[in-house]
Parts: sequence; structure tokens; C-alpha cells
Amino acid sequence: MRDIAIKITDMNKFYGKFHVLKGINLTVSKGERIVICGPSGSGKSTLIRCINRLEEHQQGSINVLGTELDDNVGHIDAIRREVGMVFQHFNLFPHLTVLENLTLAPMLARKISQAEAEKTAMKYLDRVRIPEQAAKFPGELSGGQQQRVAIARALCMAPEILLFDEPTSALDPEMISEVLDVMVSLAKDGMTMVCVTHEMGFARQVADRVIFMDQGEIVEQGPPADFFGAPQNPRTQKFLNQILSH
Amino acid sequence: MTSLSTPLPFDPSRKPSLRKRFFSRPMDTVISLIGLSIAAWVLWHLLTWAVLNAVWTSPDGTSDVCRDIKGACWAVINTRWRLILFGLFPYEEQWRSTLACLAIVIVAILSCVPKFWTAPRLGLLWIAGFATFYTLMAGGVFGLKATAPSDWGGLTLTVFIYAAGMLIGMPTAIALALMRRSDLPLIAKTTGLFIDTIRSLPLITILFTAALVFPLALPQMLIGDKIWRVIIGFALFFAAYEAENIRSGIQALPAGQEEAARALGLTYWQRTTRVILPQAFRNALPPTINQFVISFKETSLIVIIGFFEVMASGKAAYGSGDWAFAWVEVYVFVAMIYFVFVFSLSRYGAYLERRLRVGKH
Repeated sequence: MRDIAIKITDMNKFYGKFHVLKGINLTVSKGERIVICGPSGSGKSTLIRCINRLEEHQQGSINVLGTELDDNVGHIDAIRREVGMVFQHFNLFPHLTVLENLTLAPMLARKISQAEAEKTAMKYLDRVRIPEQAAKFPGELSGGQQQRVAIARALCMAPEILLFDEPTSALDPEMISEVLDVMVSLAKDGMTMVCVTHEMGFARQVADRVIFMDQGEIVEQGPPADFFGAPQNPRTQKFLNQILSH
Repeated sequence: MTSLSTPLPFDPSRKPSLRKRFFSRPMDTVISLIGLSIAAWVLWHLLTWAVLNAVWTSPDGTSDVCRDIKGACWAVINTRWRLILFGLFPYEEQWRSTLACLAIVIVAILSCVPKFWTAPRLGLLWIAGFATFYTLMAGGVFGLKATAPSDWGGLTLTVFIYAAGMLIGMPTAIALALMRRSDLPLIAKTTGLFIDTIRSLPLITILFTAALVFPLALPQMLIGDKIWRVIIGFALFFAAYEAENIRSGIQALPAGQEEAARALGLTYWQRTTRVILPQAFRNALPPTINQFVISFKETSLIVIIGFFEVMASGKAAYGSGDWAFAWVEVYVFVAMIYFVFVFSLSRYGAYLERRLRVGKH
């Protein structure tokens, strides 16, 4: 058994009276690649946003890399430094250059020197194959380039875990593959990844486990071969029929 | 093959000629000529009044030279300009007031230069500026004769109250804007109530309270000089409005900005100072310049609690005696002073907008 990266136990979340996440139990091992899918409104984004406290859970426990996620601000900050996140709408800082976007958090939250941070930043810009864009502002880049910068920004914090919240949903079709390529290469390097995505090709290719959520519950999970080959639950079958039929 | 009737592609750099714009048809010609004659008539009258028939100096310092003239009597400015610029500041000490005013103006200009845009540099600059101003104006050290703030006046007083008010007001506005967005309902609600209360009061009421009511209500040690109470009242009034400008700038940001900064592990202050506020200022720049301009003109209200700022000094300069007929000339002069300051502020605002690329992303 590998080391545990994330352990979620009997977790419930409410928006007022609305029960968004119902009795979630999920354990992610270090180095594991998880893909979460499900219809819109099923709570999949909310679930991964609970892991770094962008959303607060009301019941149950979330433990990330041995640190309990509670109201202690020190715990929250510690977890956020180790958990990177890539958003659907990139959320780059438009008033900073690409390079400044990448060095801001390492310098402030990790207290790394500017020279060191810039060296790391250039390394990851190389890795996502856009080092020549370092001096530009995010608004000058295409969507696919912006999302690759966002991935590099997350990597610069040297996180143990990366969360992806529908990273390709806001992209024009011809830019999806350049982002997926980067994600595949990260997966190959053993990064712990939790991805909310509808890219089933990506799921088949790299996921260790696919999770299907509906109406705030984890309905079914399993290795991609089983999940796509022989889904057990009728809700999963219906969902897969809908998204794979065209 | 090109058809002759094909219109040339529109080229915005090719301006139509003067003739085409104003005289292309008979009716256009008539209207243009009428407009031009009215403009020429107004300009000619202005010119004869302000320049050709004007009297510029009064050799004996009295208003006699202006008795039978048809033009402007600029002699009043020539004779009384010191009163307008320095108020009741002792005559032989007015060089101090000049330097003090210059100190504030120079510091203000320097702090508009991007090179000085770091907290330590700006802080040092303004501390030096105000220390210079205060030493020169108050005196009592370095062999300078002590002069009470009640004797300060004219343009120097206007510039000082404005600069001090904005300098205290801007950080207060930022604090109020952040507190109004606090997660703690008590802080958010109290701040909201405070802002709404100040905004619902006229500035005159606030200045009056600061100058006359607070001394009755506060313990002796907290009263301080009237000028500081007035500056603080002025600053609070500015801050209440500016806080809402800044808040609008913050709320215009997509929620994802704050979330991305959180997800990167930045603390509240790091998120606020490095991600949220720089963008919020950019969004709030046009209304902020507006507020700065309005506030400059509002300094003229401090006359009601006995301070002779430039407007009131102007009024005193023509007074009710010899020069009483020359009020138009004095107000034109004062208006030009206001124009220089406000126009500079507007142009600086326009420069900032270009520099920060407001309206672009």
C-alpha cells in the first residue's frame, strides 16, 4: 500500500439547506491519478474545491498529506502550499507578466529568492513549451497558452498534489490537446492528480481510477478498463451512453 | 479591373479638408459664417477687455488708475497677489509660505513618478515634505518666527489642507473598503453604517463639527489644533466616497482571482496587496481621479470655520474698500489657479490610465 495523499471520510457539505455533497469517502494514494466525471451539478467541482478549502465542508473529515483540514488557518495555508490547482478559466493574474505570475507565490508563500524563483519558473515554462512568452501579459496569449501557464504556475510551488477543475472546458477545440499533452506528461512523471474532466480519452489513457458522481454522491468507481467496459450502476451507464455516443 | 465608381477605402487618418467640413453646401457656409462671426465677436470682446484696454499696474498702489477704464483692472492682482497666495501670513515672512507651498507641490509631483511607487519611498517623500512644510510655516525653530496656523492662508493653506486630507484619506479609504468586505458581519456592517453616515452628511456639517463641536466633547489632550481636526474631517469625508470607488473596483474582479491566489497559499495580506488591490485601483481609477478633483474644489468650504484658503483670500483681496469693483478680475485669477491644479490632475489621470492600460485586458 502506497502512502496516502488525501483521505476524505464521511464528508458532507451543505449550501444552506441544500445538501451538495453526501457522505463522501475517498482515499487517494500518492502518485495516483484520479479522474472524476459526472453530469453538471453533480458536485464534482465542489468536491475538489473542498480539498484546498476554496469550499468549506460541514461534516466529516478531510486529511491532506497528514494535515487535518479544519478551521486552523495554519493548516489551511500549509495544505494550499502543497496542493496546486488549475482552473477552468485559468485565473492568471492579468496585471502581472507570465513570469511574475509564476514567481509571485513561490517568493511570498515559500520565501524563495527572486533569482531562484525565476530559474524555476523558466524551467516549468520550458516544460509546458512556452518559454518565449515569459515577458508577455496573460491577455496577450491564447487560451491554450494561458492554461499551460496556469499549470506551470501551479508547478512552481512544487506541489505534492495537483487538482484540475475542468481544465479544458473553456478552451477552443484545437487548443485542448496542447493542454492534455502537458497533463499526460505530468501523469507519467508520477504527480498525484485529481482531475475533474469530461475528456474520456485522457481518463482511459492515464487514470488509475475513474470516479462517477451524481447528485452529490460517488456512484461508482474503478479502473478505466472496468469503468468504461462494464459499468455496473444504471446511472453510470446512462451517463456514459450520453457522452460517448456521439 | 477597378471600377471608377468604387469608393476609396475609409482611412481615418485622411481628415476631410476644412472646406469640405464647413463649406460644402450653401447652407453649411451660412451656418459656418454665423458661427464664426459669433466666436470672433466674443473673442474680440474678451481680448479688448482682458488685454487691449486692461490696466496692468498701479504705480502708487491705489485703485485710482482703474477709475475710468473700460478693460480689466489687473492692477488689483499686481497689488494684492500676496494676499491671495499667502492670506494673513506675516508680510516679511511670506518667503516661508512660498517655499512651504512649493515643498508640497514638488513632493506631490514626485510621488506621481512611477520611480517613487514603493511604500518606503513614498512614505519618506511625504514625511520629508510635511516636515519641511511644517517647519517653514509654524516656525519657532532655526530662528524662524513662530506663526500660528490661524495666520496661515491663501493658496499655501489650500494646498496643505488638500494634500494632508488626501494623504490621510486614501489609506483610510482602502481600510474602509477592505473592512466593508470583511467576512465578519460585525465589522462589515459597522463600516457600512459609518460610510453611509458620513456620506449622508454635508461636508460643511462635518467641518463644523470637527472645528467647533469636538472641542466641547473631547478631553483636552485629544483636541489638538483646529487645523488638524479640520483636515481629519475633510479626510474622512473623502475616504467615505473613495472607499466605495475602491470597493466597486474590487467587486468588478472575477471571483477566480481571489480563488487562484488562495489556492497558491497566499495569505490574506499577500492576496490583498499583490493581487486584489493593484487590479482594483486600475478599475477604480476614473472615479478616483474624479473624487480627487472634486475634493480639491471642496477645500474652499473650510472658509466657514475661519480658514482663509485661496478662495476666501481672493474675496479679501478685493474686499469692500478701494478695489471692491475689481471682483471679476480677482475671481478670474483664482479660477485660473484652480484650473491649473485640476487640469494637471486630469491629465495625470489620463496618463495613469494609459500606463495601467485601463479598459484593456
